[in-house]
Amino acid sequence: MSVAFPSLAFFQALQTLMRQEELRFRRLGFVDTTFGVEVLASHGAPWRCLLTFEVFECREVAEVASFDLTEIDFVLTGDLATWVETMQNIKQHGGADAAHSLNTLTHFGERMRVLYDDPDNRDKLFRFQESLQQFFDLAGRLDIDFPATTTTVQLSA
Amino acid sequence: MAYLSTTDFFEDQNFFDRWRRNLKGDLDLSWMHTKTEKLAATPENPRRGLTLRDLDKNGYGFSEMPEFVRDNRSFAPRGAELPDGLPDVQAAVSQKGEVWAYNTEGYYEEAMTRQWNATLDVPWAEMAKAELPDEIARAYAQLLTFLTEVEMIATDVPAEWMGKLNNNFMEVKNFMATQVMDEARHAEVFRKRALTTGCGLMKASPYNEMSLKQIRDADSFAEMSLALHLVGEGVVLTLFRFSEYIAPTDADKKMFRLIMQDEARHVGYGVQHLKWVMRHFPEKREVIHKHLDETENMVFGGGYALEVTEPFIILAGKGLKKENIEQGAKITALFQMKQIEEYFERLDKCGLSERRKRSKLHNALEFTRAALQEAGVLA
Amino acid sequence: MAFYMEKDFFEDVELFNLTQRVMQGDLTLRWFDPKTERVCLTPKDPARGLTYEDCNVGSYGYDRLPELIRNNYSMAPRGSELWGKLPDLGYTLNRKSEVWSDNVSVLYEEAKTRRWAPAVDIGWEALAQAPLPVPLEIAMAQMCTFLQECATVAMGGASRWIYSINQEFLELKSYLCAQIFDQGRHLEALRKRALAGGQGLKRASVAAEQALKELLSAESYSEASVGVNVLLGSVLLSLHRHLAAVASSPADRRLFSLMMQDTARMVAYGSGQLRYHLTHQPHQTEFLHDYLDNAEHCLLGLIGNQECLEPLIVLSGGGTEPEQLRRGGHAVQRLLTQLVAEYSERCERAGLHGRSTRSRLATFLRQLAGE
Repeated sequence: MSVAFPSLAFFQALQTLMRQEELRFRRLGFVDTTFGVEVLASHGAPWRCLLTFEVFECREVAEVASFDLTEIDFVLTGDLATWVETMQNIKQHGGADAAHSLNTLTHFGERMRVLYDDPDNRDKLFRFQESLQQFFDLAGRLDIDFPATTTTVQLSA
Repeated sequence: MAYLSTTDFFEDQNFFDRWRRNLKGDLDLSWMHTKTEKLAATPENPRRGLTLRDLDKNGYGFSEMPEFVRDNRSFAPRGAELPDGLPDVQAAVSQKGEVWAYNTEGYYEEAMTRQWNATLDVPWAEMAKAELPDEIARAYAQLLTFLTEVEMIATDVPAEWMGKLNNNFMEVKNFMATQVMDEARHAEVFRKRALTTGCGLMKASPYNEMSLKQIRDADSFAEMSLALHLVGEGVVLTLFRFSEYIAPTDADKKMFRLIMQDEARHVGYGVQHLKWVMRHFPEKREVIHKHLDETENMVFGGGYALEVTEPFIILAGKGLKKENIEQGAKITALFQMKQIEEYFERLDKCGLSERRKRSKLHNALEFTRAALQEAGVLA
Repeated sequence: MAFYMEKDFFEDVELFNLTQRVMQGDLTLRWFDPKTERVCLTPKDPARGLTYEDCNVGSYGYDRLPELIRNNYSMAPRGSELWGKLPDLGYTLNRKSEVWSDNVSVLYEEAKTRRWAPAVDIGWEALAQAPLPVPLEIAMAQMCTFLQECATVAMGGASRWIYSINQEFLELKSYLCAQIFDQGRHLEALRKRALAGGQGLKRASVAAEQALKELLSAESYSEASVGVNVLLGSVLLSLHRHLAAVASSPADRRLFSLMMQDTARMVAYGSGQLRYHLTHQPHQTEFLHDYLDNAEHCLLGLIGNQECLEPLIVLSGGGTEPEQLRRGGHAVQRLLTQLVAEYSERCERAGLHGRSTRSRLATFLRQLAGE
C-alpha cells in the first residue's frame, strides 16, 4: 500500500518500520528528542509534523498547525521540492547518499534549515544524528506517492 | 594562565595574511609533500575489522617503537612529521618499558567490542522480583557498598597517569581510557544493585579507604600498576569470581560475570606489563620487590576490613545461624587463600617466582592455613 | 612511595587475634545496622533500564548534593554511613557549581547506549575498494593527523581533572569517563582512517598544538571546561559536521557522523557546566569573559593553522584545481562564520551575556572576508 508524502500516514509508516527494526535502533542507542518537520510549498500553507523520539523508538507522530520553538528541540524545514528529492534519493539508494543526508542538507542552511530557540536543544540533531538519519532512510522501503508537481500542489494530510 | 601559546593569533599578521590568501584559493600545500611513510593498512581478518594490530607496520607500529621516545614530546600522533615549534607537553613517562605490556593493543580492541551497559544489560526487573531474606539482603548490600566504594580508584588513578604518558604510547593511553570507563560502569552497577536490594547503601570501609590512598599516591607508573592492576584488581578479580559463586540470584550471577570480564582485562594488562618489565628491565627486580613488600602489607591488613569479610561469611554460609556461619567461614577462608595463591601464581608467570620465599604475605598464608587447620576451620 | 599504611600488619597481634575470632564464627556485625536510608529502586521505564536518574532518590540522589562538600574526602559512596578514620584522598574540587551540569546523568546514559567500535562499525573494506583521488586522500590524511592532536587534548581535558574531583560528584565523574572513552575512540578511528587510506600520517601542526596546550593548561576547572568543552568542542563539532557533509565516501560520512554525535555530547556538557556555574556563581561571569578574551585566539590557532585550513579547503572544494580551491575557500569561509556564530551563541545562552559583542572573533572574521 502506498503512502503520500508529505502526510501523517507517511511518518506513521516510518514509525512502524522503526518499531519493527528495534534491534537495529537499539544498537544505535537512546534517542530522546522532540522535533518538527516542516514542508514549505510555494502555494498554500506549510505542512507540519511533530515527531517525538523516546528511548529507542519514535513514540509519537502528530500533524500540527504550528511549532513552539521554546517547547521543542528544533525544526527541520525545507521546501517541498527538496523534501521530495531527498525521499526519492533515499528510495533510489536504499538510504540517503552523501548529498542528501540530513547533515549535508542542513549544514549551511541552503537546502534545509534548522530552526531552534536553544542551541543546546538544537545540538540534539547532532547527538542523535545516526538514529535520525536511519529513521528517514526507512522511507526507502515505502511505496511513496509524491505530489504530481512539487511547485503547485496544495499540501494536505 | 599556566601556559601561553608562543603566538597570539589575533596579533600575528603573517598568520592572518596566509589565512586570507588560503580562503581565496591560494594554498601552499607543502603538507602534501611530507616525508612520512605511506601506508594502506587492511584488516587481516575482515570479521574482526581494522585493528590496532593491523596498523603495527614500520614506523607507525608499536613493535618498532624505540625504547626511549626522544623525538616527540608533543600532542602529535606517532609517525607524524614533527616540525620545529611544537610544544613540550611535559610527559612524565617517555620510556616504553615503563608502561608497555604484551598484547596492549589486543586488550584495547577487546575492551572496545565487549563494552556493556549497566543500565540495560542487567536484568533489574528480575532482580526486583527476588525477595532476599533480611540477613542476606543486608550482607549483600554491605558487600555492594564496599564494591561501590573501591571501584573508581581504578578510574581516578589511570586517568591521572594518562596525562603523564608520552603521546607515542597511544595504545596504552587508549587501553587506560577503556579502563576508566569500565570502572565507572562497575561503580555504577554496584551502586544501582545496592539501591535495589531494599537496604540501600550500608557502611563505608575505613580500612579499605587507606588501601585506596596507597594506590592513589603511587609515585611512579610501575608502582601504580603493580598496586592497582596486579595486586588490587587481582584480588578483586578473585573476589568477583567468588561473588558470582555466592550471588543470591541468577541475575546477580550474570552481573558478576559481566564485571569479571572487564576486570580480567585489567589484570591481564598488569600481568603482561610486569612480564614486559621483567624481560626488558631485569635491573628493576629489586625495586619491584620493595614495592610489593608494602603492597602486600596493604593486602594483609585487609583483615581489618570486616565490612567485607563478615558479609562474605554470611553470604557464603547463606545465613546467620551458627551452622551457616561455620560453613561460611570455611568457604571464606578458602576464598582468601585462593586470592593470595592466585596472586603468587601471577607473579610466577611474570618471572618473579622467588617472591614466595621472601614474601611475608606468603609466610602469613602458610601460617594462616596451619592455624585454621588447627582450629578446625579447614580440613 | 608517598603513603605508607599506618603499621606493619605482619607484626600486628591485634589483627591476628581479630581474624582468628571472626573466622571461628565470632562476628562483630558492626555494619549490620547502618544509619542509612533503606530503598528498593526499580526502573521507571523498563525499556530504558535502571538509569542514574532513577537512582536520584533521597539521600542517595544528586539533587540533595550540597554546594560545598565538607564531610567526605574519601571514596565512600554518597549515601553510605561515614564512620571511623576515613582518609583524605586529596580532592581539590569540592564545590558542586565548579563542575556540575544538570545534564550529566542523561549524557552519561546516552554515551553508553550510543557507543560504537571503529574496528567494526566503519566500512574499511569499502574504503579500500574505492579509494579517494590522491589529492583528497592526502588532505584526509592531513586532516586526520590534525584531529588526532585535538582528540588528545579533548581526552586530556577530562582525564586531567577526574583525580581532583570529589567522589560525591559520581555522575559527573562518570560522564567524564565516558568523554575520555569517546575521545580515545576518536584517536583510534582517526589513526586507522589515516593509515588505511594509503597516505599515512602527515604533518603535526605547531599553531594548533600551541593553542591546544594553552587550553589544556587552564588553571581552574571552569576555565578548562569552557576552553576545552565549549571552545575546542565547538571547533571539533563544526569540523566533524562539515567533514561528514562533504565526505565523498560512505565510510567517511559514517565516521564523521559518529564522531559528531560524541562531540555534541562534549559540547552539551560544556554548555551545561557553564550555565550551572554562572547561575550559582554569577560573579564568575567577568572572570570567564576575561579568560576568553585571552584564550579565544586559540580558536584561530585551531582552525586557521595551515595543517587544518588547507586540507579543509581541498576536501571542501573536491580537489586541488584552482576552481576547486576557490570553491573550497568559499565553503570554509562560510564554515568559519557559522562556527563563530554557534560558539558565541552557546556562550551567550549559557550565561556569558555580551560575549558576541565583546569577542574579537567576529571582527577578525570580517577582516578576513575583506569587509
